[in-house]
Amino acid sequence: MGILFTKLFANLFGDREARILVLGLDNAGKTTILYRLQVGEVVSTIPTIGFNVETVAYKNIKFQVWDLGGQTSIRPYWRCYFPNTQAVIYVVDSSDTDRMSIAKEEFHAILQEEELKDAVILVYANKQDLPGALDDAAVSEGLSLHMIKNRQWAIFKTSAIKGEGLFEGLDWLSDTLKQRGR
Amino acid sequence: MFSLLFGLWKYLFAKAEYHVLILGIDKAGKTTLLEKVKAIYSDLEALPPERIVPTVGLNIGRVDAHKCKLIFWDLGGQLGLRSIWEKYYEEAHAVLYVVDAACQSRFEDVKNALARVMQHVELDGAPILVLANKQDLPGAISAEDMSRTLDMIDVNDRPCLVKAACAYDGSGVRDGVLWLVEAMKKSQRSEKLKQRAESAIQF
Repeated sequence: MGILFTKLFANLFGDREARILVLGLDNAGKTTILYRLQVGEVVSTIPTIGFNVETVAYKNIKFQVWDLGGQTSIRPYWRCYFPNTQAVIYVVDSSDTDRMSIAKEEFHAILQEEELKDAVILVYANKQDLPGALDDAAVSEGLSLHMIKNRQWAIFKTSAIKGEGLFEGLDWLSDTLKQRGR
Repeated sequence: MFSLLFGLWKYLFAKAEYHVLILGIDKAGKTTLLEKVKAIYSDLEALPPERIVPTVGLNIGRVDAHKCKLIFWDLGGQLGLRSIWEKYYEEAHAVLYVVDAACQSRFEDVKNALARVMQHVELDGAPILVLANKQDLPGAISAEDMSRTLDMIDVNDRPCLVKAACAYDGSGVRDGVLWLVEAMKKSQRSEKLKQRAESAIQF
């Protein structure tokens, strides 16, 4: 009963909290995005082994953002973080056309996960500042986003270095999560 | 035995499930319409129109309406994103094409995009409802003028209707959905999609 009231109060008055996973291949820009959101500037990063986690408060939602390392050897451990996740931000290096098909395979493997079946999907077509970067339509095509037919998704062109597109994506996420929370 | 009876019961009484694609160029009011549909057929409140941002992907609405399960797929309408539309054609039972009836400067774009939708082979026979939306705005043209503007006068190969509506206040929306449901029930395409789904389960 007490828990019920606590939950009710949290729902009515408190900030909502959401657990967001940031996933993607190595060198997609996940950590740069995380710190761009968190401290608002570009920090130099090294390849993540394990994870970085930060809380980003934005529009009455506390996003608990988990940035998991993207190297092949540690991708299997992503699964440990799947329960209780409301959204997945999938980051793609839009200029890395060679590995787009691998990015697609990993992405669809994530979509298959039972524990993520209710998570909404936000795709960051990152590194738009680089020459030869694919645009949002081409990245959707590359990832076969259209195969998602039972949940909401959105794609945003981003440049973590320049800070473009990231908060537009979070806007979408906060609206979508609020709507679902009703 | 129980599962057999349950299966039979489900077979007899299961509601038909239809997929409706909401298409149209950007700023037509597709997502506002989807929110209105959700509000009309469920007890959810519609997201207020000023809070709706341009769709850059897919929004989904599931409602029970007129004794059917309807699944609405609302896709972004910006030029770059229209290439995604056709990926959803194959599984769609019908199309709800939304037009800003007050924005005459973009009617050419509207017409071309609609022509491409109607000519696409994977939408063969799918009923199309064109909503002349934003009737609350001054300068919005009527359904008759809209069908003339879009050259929709001689469409024989599929059920087709142009209807005036306003997603903002909801007028015309329920009638439009009802027409779609009736059209989908009668449509041969629905039968085809159903057979294909059943054979996919068997193999």
